Amino acid sequence: MAVESVFSQEGKKLTIKIKGRFDFGKHQEFRDAYERQHPVLDSVVVDLKEATYLDSSALGMLLLLRDHVGGDDSDIRLVHASDDVRKVLAISNFDKLFDIS
Amino acid sequence: MPANQALRVLIAEDGAADRLLLAQIVRRQGHEVCTAEDGAQAVQLFMQQRPQIVLLDALMPVMDGFEAARQIKALAGEALVPIIFLTSLNEEQGLVRCLEAGGDDFMAKPYSPVILAAKIRAMDRLRRLQATVLEQRDQITRHHHHLLNEQRVAKAVFDKVAHSGCLNAPNIRYLQSPYALFNGDLLLAAYAPNGDMHLLLGDFTGHGLPAAVGAMPLAEVFYGMTAKGYGLVETLREMNAKLKRILPVDMFCCALLLNLSFQRGTVEVWSGGMPDGYRLSAAGEVLGVLASRHLPLGILPPERFDDSTCVLPLAEGERLLLLSDGVVDSGDAQERLFGEQRLHQVLAANREPAQLFDELMQALARFGGQARDDISLCDVRMLGPDGAAAQAVVYSDSGRSSPLDWSLDFELRGDSLRRFNPVPYLVQLLQEIHGLRPSSGLLHSVLSELYANALEHGVLGLDSSLKRDAQGFSEYYRQRAERLAAEVGGVVRIGLRVEPHATGGRLMIEVRDSGNGFDVASVLARSPQAQGFCGRGLNLVQRLAHSAEWLDGGRLARVAVQW
Amino acid sequence: MDVHIDHKVLCDLREIMEDGYLQLLDTFLEDSERRLSQLHQAKDAAELGMAAHSFKGSSSNMGAVGLAGLCQELEDRVRQLPLYGIEDLINRIDLEYREVQQFYGSERERISAG
Repeated sequence: MAVESVFSQEGKKLTIKIKGRFDFGKHQEFRDAYERQHPVLDSVVVDLKEATYLDSSALGMLLLLRDHVGGDDSDIRLVHASDDVRKVLAISNFDKLFDIS
Repeated sequence: MPANQALRVLIAEDGAADRLLLAQIVRRQGHEVCTAEDGAQAVQLFMQQRPQIVLLDALMPVMDGFEAARQIKALAGEALVPIIFLTSLNEEQGLVRCLEAGGDDFMAKPYSPVILAAKIRAMDRLRRLQATVLEQRDQITRHHHHLLNEQRVAKAVFDKVAHSGCLNAPNIRYLQSPYALFNGDLLLAAYAPNGDMHLLLGDFTGHGLPAAVGAMPLAEVFYGMTAKGYGLVETLREMNAKLKRILPVDMFCCALLLNLSFQRGTVEVWSGGMPDGYRLSAAGEVLGVLASRHLPLGILPPERFDDSTCVLPLAEGERLLLLSDGVVDSGDAQERLFGEQRLHQVLAANREPAQLFDELMQALARFGGQARDDISLCDVRMLGPDGAAAQAVVYSDSGRSSPLDWSLDFELRGDSLRRFNPVPYLVQLLQEIHGLRPSSGLLHSVLSELYANALEHGVLGLDSSLKRDAQGFSEYYRQRAERLAAEVGGVVRIGLRVEPHATGGRLMIEVRDSGNGFDVASVLARSPQAQGFCGRGLNLVQRLAHSAEWLDGGRLARVAVQW
Repeated sequence: MDVHIDHKVLCDLREIMEDGYLQLLDTFLEDSERRLSQLHQAKDAAELGMAAHSFKGSSSNMGAVGLAGLCQELEDRVRQLPLYGIEDLINRIDLEYREVQQFYGSERERISAG
């Protein structure tokens, strides 16, 4: 699986791990990861440790996730981004929408 | 599909008894049969009857089965006409020859009706499969052509819109891959009424039609608002709001917007999500970058949208290079990216600005070996104060109903000063006067200068001497943004008075602010060179208007325009 | 067990050919005369082999198992030069064909008589 998700019941926290290229090819898997389960999510962590690449459609998917979990009130962290991935996020100034670490 | 559909079967067999027997077996299985006694007859019959399946004896007089098979396969073209060789050849060589000649199966003598029926069924399945594949392939080809044609039409329509601007201005060089639009790339340029040039390089997320769909409304807003004299900030706000409203959540548009003011020698920049643009000297050295400081357009709701631009001095001959992410993100076979470093090398090596795009494309080709179809490049050069092209504005009315005797007073306070730019409205209003229409650029410039002075120096108390150099420039605009963000206390009052004369008329403009005024005599006494960027506004107004005076210690500007 | 004719094959042929059975018998006999003269007039090993191959095919279809076997033998034999003793094999084919001809002749009469 190129997109793995783990749900922690206690914190109502969903962790989504992306492996390989994060592009349109992962669209369905990524949506499934947060749409299928969990009616209430307090926070979401997107783990980009194994993501090698991120394109603008991936940015779009992150916006969909943000919209799904409450928009401005959402708590989404993007973690373990490589330098390349971080750069794409920085050019788009996504740090204004997401907590990137 | 019926399992046992009747087929037309060609039997070629030189033995009369075998032929008779085989024909009867096949006929009893419900098929239509035609028979040939040798290979040449078989080829003839194939052309006339177009059978779906062929049973060929390998050894026949006149033309043997191998040659007949080759000719029949060639005649059949892409369609699969299965050929079953009738043979009791049992040595390997013979069987190999059958296959090489295009045979699909064998049938040994003595004939078994059961096996033959099974083989014909199997071959029929293959035949149908091939036919389906061909049909689907043709369908895909048709759809593809259809799609390409639609794209051609859409692009032609779009080009009419996109090129209604001034992309062909002498100071703009650009390069776009032919179908960049369908990769979401967008390049627009237009003159504002005051002679400023607005330019937008945008990149919608995604590919194909969805990426191109947002381009049309964006172009409309860009051209419409630029033509009406709105500044970058108002245009940006409108574009963002429009895209936010019409695009799905996961779509947005990275964009870099410029306002080149040839009169002031400045460029105003806003970039959301675009790769760094470059400020280049006339010779091509990199003087600075235009970095993305904002989220792309179409993501934030209007109330959270950040419209803060930055203003930089740009001397005549200096250039700005804008690129889409197709350039730095071009990958080679190993998925390495072209990257900024290689781009910088190309910029550093460039000697002749006109060659820059070619050199860049060559470097990309050397690096990746294949051209990407989503590359947009734009190189725009700063012109001197007289560089702006004269505007040909088309009016839709005759002008007979021009109102020629009126006045109005307009007062802006508090929040209105922070958010509202009255200049486009006033210029629109003055367009009602036919005699002033040729001067709309001038009116726009004069009103913009007077209003900016009243707001920035009068109400906000900004010190124009800051704008002496590039650093002071950014400090000036930082302070401007800071003071606008805080509570704004003062007032700007604008008065327009129009009076008819015997052969034309006169417009009096008065702009008064609640600030501390300035030492009119000493500012006006300075030569334009000594003024640098500061004070240039007064000079400009004096140059453009028929008369201009500053009263009440610099708090009131009175300007006359005659026609 | 008849060494000349496979009666099961013949029985199937009758069923398959229906009204064409008699015509099939006649055609086979005419065909065979032509094959035999091809055997005798063959000028080289290749012609001989080809005639033997064709004759083998039609005899096997007609259930003439003895004849088909001999033709197979001839087909194999002509691949190994010299063609020493080949006349003897062709004579045996002639003899076997007489048997087959006689049998099909009587089969023909039996059917025509109804």
